[in-house]
Amino acid sequence: MVSGVRQPVLDSLAAVVLAAGLALVLVVAADRVEGARVSAAESEARMAAALWELEGGSGAAAAGLLGERATTTRADAGGAGPGPGAYAYEAGALDPAVWIAVTPRPADGPRRALPITAIAIALAGLTLVTGWVLARRRGPARTRHPVGIALLSVGCIALTAVAAGRWADRELRSLSGATAVQGARAVEIALQIGADLAEAARVAQLPWAQDQSLDSPTEQWTMPAAVAAAIAASPERDVETSAGNDAISLDAANAAAPTTQETDAGAPPIAPHTVEADGATWHVARSADVHVAFLGYERTASPALALAAAGGLAGLLVALALHLAQLASRPRVLGRTLAAWGLLSPAAALILAFTLGPLLFSLWISLHEWRLIDPAPLFLGFDNYAALLRDREWWSAIGNTALFTLHVPAAMAVALALALLTRGSRRALRWARLALFLPGITSVAAIAVVWKWLLSDQYGLLNRGLERAGLGSVPWLTSPDTALASLMIIGIWMVVGYQMVVFQAGLAAIPRDWYDAARVDGAGPWQRFRHITLPGLRHTLFFVLVTSIIGSFQVFGLVYVMTEGGPLGATDVAVYHIYREAWEFLQFGNAAAMSWLLFVVVFAATWLHFRFLDARRAHG
Amino acid sequence: MSRAGQGVVLRGVGKRFGDVVAVQSMNLEVRPGELMVLVGPSGCGKSTLLRLIAGLETPTSGEVWIGGRRVDEVEPGARDVAMVFQSYALYPHMTVARNLGFGLRVRGTPAAELERRVAETAGALGLGDLLERKPGQLSGGQRQRVALGRAMVRDPGVFLFDEPLSNLDAELRLRTRDEIAALHRRLGTTMVFVTHDQVEALSLGQRVAVMDRGRLQQVGTPDEVYRRPRNLFVAGFVGSPPINRIGLSRDGSGALAGGPFALAGPSGPDQATLTVRPEDLAVAGPGGTEGDFRATVLRVEALGSEQRVHLDGPGDAAWVARASPALRVAPGARVSVSIAWDRSHLFGPDGRREEGVARPAGQQVPR
Repeated sequence: MVSGVRQPVLDSLAAVVLAAGLALVLVVAADRVEGARVSAAESEARMAAALWELEGGSGAAAAGLLGERATTTRADAGGAGPGPGAYAYEAGALDPAVWIAVTPRPADGPRRALPITAIAIALAGLTLVTGWVLARRRGPARTRHPVGIALLSVGCIALTAVAAGRWADRELRSLSGATAVQGARAVEIALQIGADLAEAARVAQLPWAQDQSLDSPTEQWTMPAAVAAAIAASPERDVETSAGNDAISLDAANAAAPTTQETDAGAPPIAPHTVEADGATWHVARSADVHVAFLGYERTASPALALAAAGGLAGLLVALALHLAQLASRPRVLGRTLAAWGLLSPAAALILAFTLGPLLFSLWISLHEWRLIDPAPLFLGFDNYAALLRDREWWSAIGNTALFTLHVPAAMAVALALALLTRGSRRALRWARLALFLPGITSVAAIAVVWKWLLSDQYGLLNRGLERAGLGSVPWLTSPDTALASLMIIGIWMVVGYQMVVFQAGLAAIPRDWYDAARVDGAGPWQRFRHITLPGLRHTLFFVLVTSIIGSFQVFGLVYVMTEGGPLGATDVAVYHIYREAWEFLQFGNAAAMSWLLFVVVFAATWLHFRFLDARRAHG
Repeated sequence: MSRAGQGVVLRGVGKRFGDVVAVQSMNLEVRPGELMVLVGPSGCGKSTLLRLIAGLETPTSGEVWIGGRRVDEVEPGARDVAMVFQSYALYPHMTVARNLGFGLRVRGTPAAELERRVAETAGALGLGDLLERKPGQLSGGQRQRVALGRAMVRDPGVFLFDEPLSNLDAELRLRTRDEIAALHRRLGTTMVFVTHDQVEALSLGQRVAVMDRGRLQQVGTPDEVYRRPRNLFVAGFVGSPPINRIGLSRDGSGALAGGPFALAGPSGPDQATLTVRPEDLAVAGPGGTEGDFRATVLRVEALGSEQRVHLDGPGDAAWVARASPALRVAPGARVSVSIAWDRSHLFGPDGRREEGVARPAGQQVPR
């Protein structure tokens, strides 16, 4: 009876979830385009502000560039600032300051304002799935997986995402072309109001080069040489004729600033086109003397990743809903499943928010160039990773980390010996265990500071002692030959207590019968250690080895406080290197890529250990 | 393959763990080639005694002699003993072959001889196909045989078994018990076998040592222990169903009286316990009137080969009688029960058996 009520509800749920998923995909695409429109408005506002400052405050040039899309407000007039939908930029060098607010460029007509094809696909798919679901309702309750509906839904989501992506890409290219054209126009206007060439070119705030000098490196200003070379090599073509469907509407660019077009009758036609250079597509516009190139929004605000994520999420949700619908005929299982999910969801939410989320975010960052101050991260694909493979400093840090990790087996040997020596319940042994365990629960920073003092060249207790003993001092932390070894010794001291406690737990788990049997068999202490203790501890040893190696790969606090990676990079370990890359050099993309490479290394090491252990278990 | 077994002699051996006395100072001799079973309830010190013989514990007092050599300061591996543990204590990371050969290997036995002896032992125990397996891949019975083989392969002077059958299911336990008995006949080696199961002890042991609270209660053949228990503990511990008992005390006429009984027992204590084995009770059919007492049948267990008749008397405690399956009685019936007086025993207040046979007052004790 219950199933009779729930089946249609859950089947409809699948359709509703599909609708929501499709909407999500479309909204993501629209959001990407909207974001690029705001970015474009921001660029234009900055150009207008530069012009404003160049001509000394009349505002005519800025108005010439942007026409009715710009409104200006003087700060001393108590202006309310920019209205809704406008991007404002302050022309700060002027006194009083001025807000220039620019309305984002609209889409070229209603037909292109929305991803019509994607919407059509989504509606068609939704209709089909809904029809299928309604047809299912009339039949008997199903227990098999609704594979057909699932495939149809996933296909519909994928097609919608692809169509939406193509629409967004076209819109972004159109915006990029228009921005390049605006850059060229801004240069024209600047030249007319008497700026010299360099000043005028800077107004565009885009990579640019003087026309005559495209083959002369000395006179290229901010444009990358490769781009200049590509522009010089390419015949200037009107994009509309060369790029087919991806056409940038030149009319649109011109229509945005009709006044300029009329006042500069003598200006050469502005012809945006695209060139391929540096692994990217550049949108190029030309003023009289200057080429202005623009790395398109389709690269800096690429919708591909976001759409893939949205599509994946939508697919997952639909699969989930279908799974529930399939369970509708088995209410007990359904109830248990829902209860299980309900109980899991708080923990799952925490993991999603604080583990998986940041993990995926760092993966996303690693595919971009992002300096935290950049408004939009630049999508680079795997360039960060490719660059890292050739980064000698990075590999030197990895090498230092690997070298540092050699302290783990040494620490384990010491810890095992201590574990065997301090077994038992006598008072002295308990105090010994406590003393050995203390470093493991003490703040790394405190330990590092104390050791730094102990190991100091001149004032350190250790060197004082050595000198008094007539052995001479050792540059513990100040020589590249000894610094890492010193850190390794401290590392051993820090982890030995914890490892000892784990070993003692492992030792306690070895049945006494095995030792008794070995004694009756005639095995001496060493043979019992070799044949009973070590094999009995192998899971413990493996656990300690893996966790210690992972911990060792993550060493940071010691280095940060004691050596700061020095001397001469001798203690520059991976995590410290990543930290500096991110927070000192603000190369978050690089740092994220490093983190992931480090993760791969640690993962591979762990996996190899597991394989090794399995092999040992299989062959004895 | 085997040499003659070695005798084991304990002289005044005692063991304390802190304040806890596990084994009271005791003397025990296991004769060469004998299968001796140590039996007692859990915590009676029988396993500690075995570990003292093995050398896994050091005695607090006394001497341990094996094969005419004093060994209480000798390492277990040098005592010429082998031990089978309750848990089997197989080395889990070694194959069966390596488990069997471990004792020989740590003694530096040449590889060729080691292999020969492992193969021989494995063949004798039917482990030939399992030599490359790990203990984790074996059934309980197979592990038990590996544990046995590990002891056999070294050809020791004394075998020590610490409850080796208690982890096996009932059927396998019976079979393995027979195999150990057969092994003893074949090898003729001295064996000391610890168990808490008195049936196992009686069926397996040439002699049985019954222990309780760290003391030896009685050492004797199974028949001696069963027929002539030295004290009330042994009488109660050995035998299943347990022995029937009733408390008696001397009345004015000088008879030991209790329940329906007035016994002309041996002169001696004023308090005594009368014990009668279930098979020494004869239950007459419902019509019968001859007997030593009458009782009501509470329950009848029909076990096929025999019946166990639970009675509500003669005293306050229920008694159990073994009867032929031909007997027809139903719960609730009043029956007459006769006692085979010459197989009954009287125990004094200190638990020691009183010599002489109890008789109902008025009957003559035959001489």
